[in-house]
Amino acid sequence: MKLVLSTSNIMGRGPTVMRRPTIEKSNAELTNTLRANFTAQKELYKPAHTIDSPNTNSDFKAWTQQIGSTLYIPSLENTETGLIEERAQYDITVKLFFLPNIPASRRRAQAKEAVDFVLNALKVTSIDLLIVSFPGIAFDADDEDSDSDVDSSEEAHSSPADPEDIPTMLETWRTLEELHDVGVIGKLGLAEFGTQRLNKLLPQTRVRPSVNQINLRDCCVVPKPLILFAKKEKIELLTHNDCTDILPRGTLRELLGSGQHGVEVLADPNTEDAGRLDGDVEPEFVVKYTAVIKDRGVVENKGYFAVAELKASPDMNENPRKRPLEA
Amino acid sequence: MPSISLAFIFVQTHVSFLTSALGTPLEWPEAKKIANQVRGWGIEQLLTTWRRAKGKERDALLWGDEVEYLVVCFDEENRRVRLSLRQADILQALAEDEKLLKQGGSVPDVQTGNPKPEKCAPTFHPEFGRFMLEATPGKPWGIGFKELLDVEPDMKWRRQIAKEHMGGTEYPITLTTFPRLGRPDCTVPSYETSGPKLRSQFLPDEIANPHIRFPTLAANIRWRRGRKVQVNVPVFHDSQTPRPFKDPTVDYDLHKWPEDDDVRNGAVKDEYIHMDAMAFGMGSCCLQITFQAKSIDEGRKMYDQLSPLGPIFLALTAATPVYKGFLADTDVRWNQISRAVDDRTAEELGEKPLQNDRWRIPKSRYASNSTYIANDPRLRKEYLDPDLIVDGDLKQRLVQGGMDDLLATHFAHLFIRDPIVVFAEDLKELDLEKVDHFENLQSTNWQHMRFKPPPAGSDIGWRVEFRSMEIQITDFENAAFAIFIVLITRAILSFDLNFYMPIARVTENMETAHARDAVLSSVFHFRKNPFSGRGLRPSSVPVSGSNSPTSRPSSPFGPVEDEYELMTVNEIINGQQNTSDGFPGLIPLVESYLDSMNIDVETRCEFARYLDVIRKRADGRLWTAARWIRHFVRTHPDYQQDSVVTEGMEYDLVKAAEDITVHEGKNGVGIEMFSTKR
Repeated sequence: MKLVLSTSNIMGRGPTVMRRPTIEKSNAELTNTLRANFTAQKELYKPAHTIDSPNTNSDFKAWTQQIGSTLYIPSLENTETGLIEERAQYDITVKLFFLPNIPASRRRAQAKEAVDFVLNALKVTSIDLLIVSFPGIAFDADDEDSDSDVDSSEEAHSSPADPEDIPTMLETWRTLEELHDVGVIGKLGLAEFGTQRLNKLLPQTRVRPSVNQINLRDCCVVPKPLILFAKKEKIELLTHNDCTDILPRGTLRELLGSGQHGVEVLADPNTEDAGRLDGDVEPEFVVKYTAVIKDRGVVENKGYFAVAELKASPDMNENPRKRPLEA
Repeated sequence: MPSISLAFIFVQTHVSFLTSALGTPLEWPEAKKIANQVRGWGIEQLLTTWRRAKGKERDALLWGDEVEYLVVCFDEENRRVRLSLRQADILQALAEDEKLLKQGGSVPDVQTGNPKPEKCAPTFHPEFGRFMLEATPGKPWGIGFKELLDVEPDMKWRRQIAKEHMGGTEYPITLTTFPRLGRPDCTVPSYETSGPKLRSQFLPDEIANPHIRFPTLAANIRWRRGRKVQVNVPVFHDSQTPRPFKDPTVDYDLHKWPEDDDVRNGAVKDEYIHMDAMAFGMGSCCLQITFQAKSIDEGRKMYDQLSPLGPIFLALTAATPVYKGFLADTDVRWNQISRAVDDRTAEELGEKPLQNDRWRIPKSRYASNSTYIANDPRLRKEYLDPDLIVDGDLKQRLVQGGMDDLLATHFAHLFIRDPIVVFAEDLKELDLEKVDHFENLQSTNWQHMRFKPPPAGSDIGWRVEFRSMEIQITDFENAAFAIFIVLITRAILSFDLNFYMPIARVTENMETAHARDAVLSSVFHFRKNPFSGRGLRPSSVPVSGSNSPTSRPSSPFGPVEDEYELMTVNEIINGQQNTSDGFPGLIPLVESYLDSMNIDVETRCEFARYLDVIRKRADGRLWTAARWIRHFVRTHPDYQQDSVVTEGMEYDLVKAAEDITVHEGKNGVGIEMFSTKR
């Protein structure tokens, strides 16, 4: 089963969008706003419980929506409001985070799906800029040569995944170029590319990236070669504060699970939670969108979608509803 | 001084304001007689404007800053500095400068030149003080982030142009006040004190802009009040300061004007520095920012949400520790201006029973806001002042004319004042194409926020002016504060922030902001949770069957007193660090906003410089100008620990300010304001 998690518009939602000085560069915004949206929707559609009809394990069905084999958490029908002003007033930026350990072959479908989610959420037919974030790449402002090991796999990496090679990235880029060709995406952008990677990728692109997004981590040190290169290639260097590992494994299980911080969609593997869903949650991609009213500098709408695959555990293929008491 | 000029998006109103003033000003007894007529006509003009412009929508964010300068004149040989009264000559020189005119710059009230909107050379304006100059950008700023980086260079350019049109020994200085204003021989040229208009024993009439409106303003304020204004500032007690301190500069034996009796009748108070003229307040320089809102509703919201920030930014920009040659025990200019234009009678002040006047009025015309005006469900009636004085008849007229109660209350509150300067020529007939009578009252209500209706015959929208900040010594700092306020407004609108608290607490905060080192030592009322939670709105899409949303309880409002608490400026700017759900801080809020925007690295790094100086002023790592000036005086070799600022110290101080303007602390002078590496 596919899970589509969404935050709806997080602007004005409150503390969930704040970055705390104590948490350096975290993915807290995504998880906090997902949780806030789930909790709010769950509360909103809470059946009137009495002593005679206590909580049931399938309460999540009231605020989620299953269409075919896709479960929308929460139901999108109730949360998507579109934009207030005319389309031309907005600058719409989408950032697509591909996640580690997901075969690159799926990205074509993922990219199209991600863009569709955003178009539907904002009720528009095109976006202005799509920035793609490949897993495992982290630009290091202190080290100009941080991406010099593009093709070497010997070195150990602290990232959860090794960066992939340029040809793999190019394959993904082709899909984005197609979306650009049909007018769905205005401009394309990259994230966390250093000079070397840019140098390798650029000659092979048909639609060149207009933007490269880097994280400066509070210190304003940008390697001169990158600045010069970007200027020469007419690539705008933008800043961001996103986590390189936007959705670590385990995050969604905690969010959706039946533990203290969960919203009781997934069954606790250790107990009998009949009615809730079973299986392993495998995050597929995350997409962030921001709609800014251009000549007023106001962020009107911002949100995330996270898509995951719920895979039945191997020993329960026969009947996912029935499971051993002890894991 | 704080906008007698209406400024900015200003320029247009500025021009009409001064050109309409070609005429015969009424003396106070005559002006008083027609006050009702002027107010009535002003209200009609307001209604006309409001009807015309209330539907204006989708105006872009445009904004402008106003920087005010003191023009000083150095006498190197004698190590003296005086105020230059050559404002008119300098403005004339600016107006005649061909090159500047070609680039579109202009001096709007000198009727030459034809500003071209597509160019952007700065615009210079006269101010109340004849030793002052005001400069605004040639065209308003937008919100393109790269454009924000033009602000600081533009401010520097303005200063450079101003300097180029001054004499060799003259300099534009951005100190809020001239340290020894009101002491003998403080101006060039020098004039006799005790003139007929100001009747000040410390300042000549020539200290004010000679345009007839300004001396009339000063004279009629005095006349209406029934005595001279009393500007008393508590003296700073150093180890050798006499106790009690009796202002040694006061002459008790003058007998030229009836008002000379004031000092014999208790105008002077022990422990206070005494001043007696409008120029002591209106001669102060401020940094004011005006924003154009998308619509009247957004303007009203910005007005309300920026209002509680006013006192905080007053304390944070503190730069005024010296008056009339003495160290004061306060750090900011605000109350001195307030008293310098206080035209309230003894009855209105509550010193005498009400007989001739209509009501007691708790605040000067120059004071913190007393109303909130937004159509905002978050505006609880408990935030409003239940004892607000309004002109009931005028309010009724506005409501009859279709204006809603809140906005009508606001203007009917402003219109409790009398028009001070009235020109006989403007009283012939009511011209609804003009706003002169409305502006007469509106522009002589100097509250810390101003809500400005769109001027007729232009594309300009509803505007809000943020007026509490003190001018800073360098253009770097002035740009930093201007840009920070702009970014805060964007964060307010993006996150739908809520800073509401009872307006009486804002008034209290304004007093609190005066204390010496209030930025570090004082605590201010401030709302704990700025988030509205609007993101949780249910959709209008109905859901069938058992999945229908349970009806949400209407947000229960707790006691108003639980919504705010006392915070330091540091907590308000940088956030309450000790609790997880404390106030997040204005800088973190702005950074969170910036994180949601596409910003190029260069711009983001420039913003980081600006945010850094503000962050460190708030947490005490960097000094305010007030602290630096006080320290400069107290460590000066000539200082006798007696609170006295001598001519020599004044010279060195103003010289140092000029040096800091150029070097921004990098040569070590004033480094405490700019860098922690010292």
